[in-house]
Amino acid sequence: MPDTQLEQNIPYAIRAYSPEQLTDALRKMFLIRKFEEGAEDSYTRGLIHGTMHLSIGQEASAVGSCMSLTDEDKITSTHRGHGHCVAKNADLGKMFAEFFGKETGYCKGRGGSMHIADPAKGNLGANGIVGGGLPIAVGAALSAKRLGTGAVTICFFGDGANNEGAFHESLNIASVWKLPVVFVCENNKYGMSTSTERSTAVRNIADRAVAYSMPGRTVDGNDFSAVTEAVDAAVARARRGEGPSLIENLTYRWRGHSKSDRNRYRTKEEISDWMGRDPIVSMSRLLVDHGILTNDGVAALETEAEQVIKDAIEFAAASPYPKVEEVTRDVYTVQEAAE
Amino acid sequence: MNAHTPTALRELSYAEAIREAMDLAMAADDRVILMGEDIGVYGGAFQVTGDLVHKYGTDRVMDTPISELGGAGVAVGAALTGLRPIFEFQFSDFAALAMEQIVNQAAKVRYMLGGAVSVPLVMRFPSGSGTGAAAQHSQSLEAWLGHVPGLKVVQPSTPEDVKGMLLAALEDPDPVMIFEHKILYKMKGHVPEGYYTTPIGKAAIRRAGKDVSIVATSIMVHKALAAAEQLAGEGIDAEVIDLRTVRPMDHETVLASVRKTGRLVCVYEGVKTLGVGAEISAMVAESDAFDFLDAPIVRLGGAECPVPYNPELEKAVVPQTPDIVEAVKNVVKGRI
Amino acid sequence: MPIEVIMPKVDMDMTSGKIAVWHVAEGEAVAKGDPLFDIETAKAAMEIEAPGDGVLHFAAPEGSEIAIGQPVAWLYAAGEKPVEPPQRPGGVGTSPAADQPVGPDDRQSAAPDPVPAADPEPAHEAGALADDPAAAETGEGFRATPRARSLARESGLDLRGLSGTGPRGRIQGEDVRSALQTTRTAPAPARFAAETGPLAVTRSKGGTGTPVVLIHGFASDAMSWAPIEGALKQRPLIRIDLPGHGKSPKLRIPSFRDLVKVLREAFDALSLETAHLVGHSLGGALALALADTRPKSVSTLTLIAPAGLGAEVNGAALLGIGNATRPESLGPWLRTLVADERLVTDSYVRLAMAARSDPNLRAAQLAMADMLFPDGVQAIDLRAALERVEMPTRVIWGRQDAIIPWRHALRAPGRVGLHLFDGIGHMPQMEASDEVGKIIRSNL
Repeated sequence: MPDTQLEQNIPYAIRAYSPEQLTDALRKMFLIRKFEEGAEDSYTRGLIHGTMHLSIGQEASAVGSCMSLTDEDKITSTHRGHGHCVAKNADLGKMFAEFFGKETGYCKGRGGSMHIADPAKGNLGANGIVGGGLPIAVGAALSAKRLGTGAVTICFFGDGANNEGAFHESLNIASVWKLPVVFVCENNKYGMSTSTERSTAVRNIADRAVAYSMPGRTVDGNDFSAVTEAVDAAVARARRGEGPSLIENLTYRWRGHSKSDRNRYRTKEEISDWMGRDPIVSMSRLLVDHGILTNDGVAALETEAEQVIKDAIEFAAASPYPKVEEVTRDVYTVQEAAE
Repeated sequence: MNAHTPTALRELSYAEAIREAMDLAMAADDRVILMGEDIGVYGGAFQVTGDLVHKYGTDRVMDTPISELGGAGVAVGAALTGLRPIFEFQFSDFAALAMEQIVNQAAKVRYMLGGAVSVPLVMRFPSGSGTGAAAQHSQSLEAWLGHVPGLKVVQPSTPEDVKGMLLAALEDPDPVMIFEHKILYKMKGHVPEGYYTTPIGKAAIRRAGKDVSIVATSIMVHKALAAAEQLAGEGIDAEVIDLRTVRPMDHETVLASVRKTGRLVCVYEGVKTLGVGAEISAMVAESDAFDFLDAPIVRLGGAECPVPYNPELEKAVVPQTPDIVEAVKNVVKGRI
Repeated sequence: MPIEVIMPKVDMDMTSGKIAVWHVAEGEAVAKGDPLFDIETAKAAMEIEAPGDGVLHFAAPEGSEIAIGQPVAWLYAAGEKPVEPPQRPGGVGTSPAADQPVGPDDRQSAAPDPVPAADPEPAHEAGALADDPAAAETGEGFRATPRARSLARESGLDLRGLSGTGPRGRIQGEDVRSALQTTRTAPAPARFAAETGPLAVTRSKGGTGTPVVLIHGFASDAMSWAPIEGALKQRPLIRIDLPGHGKSPKLRIPSFRDLVKVLREAFDALSLETAHLVGHSLGGALALALADTRPKSVSTLTLIAPAGLGAEVNGAALLGIGNATRPESLGPWLRTLVADERLVTDSYVRLAMAARSDPNLRAAQLAMADMLFPDGVQAIDLRAALERVEMPTRVIWGRQDAIIPWRHALRAPGRVGLHLFDGIGHMPQMEASDEVGKIIRSNL
């Protein structure tokens, strides 16, 4: 029998997951980081059209929240959603191909950065509308309950969405109908340039859970284990049929809101302070400290991630563009209606 | 299966026909659920869902909170993940609260995701004027949604069609928006028994004629038919086409009629400017049927103001039978 | 003033025609209605009659390609001296097709220009233009509806000579139609001597059970069912000749409703308990109308390329067949009926022409065509009837039908069976007789 006292001092993630699962989690965090850097680099080279919203610095929230999900479980994501896709096992080549506007991309070049989805893996898609995914996640939870699939939906959204009507309507409906959905707010302190202090009446967004009679918890979103502990408990609760929860992961985006952001609303000191709390460094240390990986093993994961991203970009670059004459394809399932 | 004439045709009201369609669909398919405000024991603001909650329970006839955006979005999410929701707006006007989910999500998800998913969603919109409910409860907003690729928008005008089109909408893998004129709910008409579908995207010729084509939608079909009867007494033979579907629009039926008659009058209750009639007119003007036009095209639509409360004013802002008679005479007799 | 002879538009998408042969030599006199010349278009050949009495001058050479609406010759009155051909008023009223380049290159040298460019003073002939106040006021155009303009284009009529009866002097379709009737030899049917009496009915020998009643199409007759009769011989076959067709009297039929009435009388006179009804083309429309009003007497309905399900119809072909007086002018139009032209052999054409040698029959048919298909549009609409009929119903159509678009079949309600044949034209019962015979037989 393990010593209960000692057990309490070991972080939740180490207790809950196998070394292989934890190594895989760190691999995904590296993949997200390298993916975002690769996307940024491709953007700089003019290979990517439009804009993109990078999640560098938020990797622990994305990967940690999805630890207890299977492919049957659903997520809805946000405009800052690349990390969620990776956490939900997306194919990185198809992601890059989408960024490059290629026919082989997840959305066949029709969606771009803000609309990556992978229904087969339970990823119902990122969303270009702040708060757009919240009611949809509740609908997915309604389906799961009605069809008895046992699936749970994690609804990712940012601090900006918590002031949208859709947030309040969705939490209320989910609670009234006791639906298996976990609302995960990735509070990275700014909705574009407007800080939560200036936009949100409550101190913690999780405080709003009280209004909808559901549990609310605020955790350090850069601490993989803390995120996992809070979200896993909420997922388990949802699976038991006890209804929704609201988890707030406090985190920070290192980059600007989008590629057009000049960072006029925050200080260099604040940014470098948060960069000092790199979730990947923390996760690496956690795994090394508990003898799950060596420093070399961590370095090898990083090198491996770089290679995966390189291959993905090569696949995307070599892929064909969509045909212009097919631009109205997929507006309807039966195509005559698009005439 | 020799031909036989049924002795008495079964009649139902428009609302009963909708309820029968929903009942049939729910009995046949557990995935079909109803969502909306006060559609349970209350029976719906217009008593369309009626007592279905007693038959199917609150798990399948779901009263939503007064949360149009949230409710509509839940329906979108449910449709994406295996259910076949029928979402009722209490009044079509309240769709304004849910436009985000209808226009940005339901209509676009399939396209944005490169065809990876479909949104088999049915939404019902009690619409139109004539109830004295004034500006925020009387609008005809079908042209708003008709402007959005990815949606299908229908306006059944008869009990038979509303049942068939609702069942067709449920069979359709894409979101179908059904605009139901509130004044039609009590209208009775023949409704075939059992399951059948009425195609989306096909207009119906309600009255054949050779002098002028009247293309009408929803309740205006009945006003146009009444006008056509009056006109027949004056020697004008009007063809009345019930457009039935705003998107995708049945071009061919309209064009064939215009080629035959050479004259076109569009009648619709939505605001005239940028409305359904504008689309019909432009479609005809762009087509080969242009060469057959023998008079300017005329649109009769809603006035350029909100729907007023006073009953006389309310009548004045939407086309009425005498307006149609007058407009057709002007067109046929070359007065304009 | 001499009478202008123009290259007429005889086909929907015709932009020019070739003068194949003149039937009258330069300087010879012709009477109005006499065959004047033959033209060839991309699709067919056709004989053109003299638009008036006169002596032929300035005829465009045989083999030359002329844009539609452009003059090909002039007919001078007996005493009139043909010095040089008159100048036509030019400008917006002329057919737009006149500006199009015409003819293959090897004929360019032969292409005539009966209008000498050297005559810059056409004032003496331009009265019509100057007298038109609408044209004079607007300077650049005149008011006419799209329908008036397209009717004028098709008939080669210059709209600027017309005064419109619409608002602000707008020329409407009706104005053009009445102008065509008064100023030209109407292409519309000649008068015919009306007859009376019941429709001709012929019966096959043998067969038992519910009989099959066959109703042929426009300009056809009961003989046309021969290709599928073998397949149906198990049942008694009853063929009805339409009025003005085959052996039936040339009745005066003012409307489709009257036509249906006459047919219904013939059908009722058969005193059948029930019948299988088969109709082709116009006969299809009639069969449908009959089934709609005699639902208890019709046990199945088979419509082959039926009329009445849409507006479009090849009016030029109907007129061409109706007008033809010789195998040479009939053959090209008969070939438009089928997808594989080889089916229409020269002997077939001669036989068909022999069956239509009676001018009174042709006139009766043209009168019927003008009533049913005015301006090349189907004025009959039986879609509602097709929605109503409840007996087992099939529609058979060839996807290469050049007379009535096969897509009309798609308007049938779901319970109507559709049989659509690739590579088959307007005559499935002749072009795919085995298949069509099998389909009908399986329905019996």
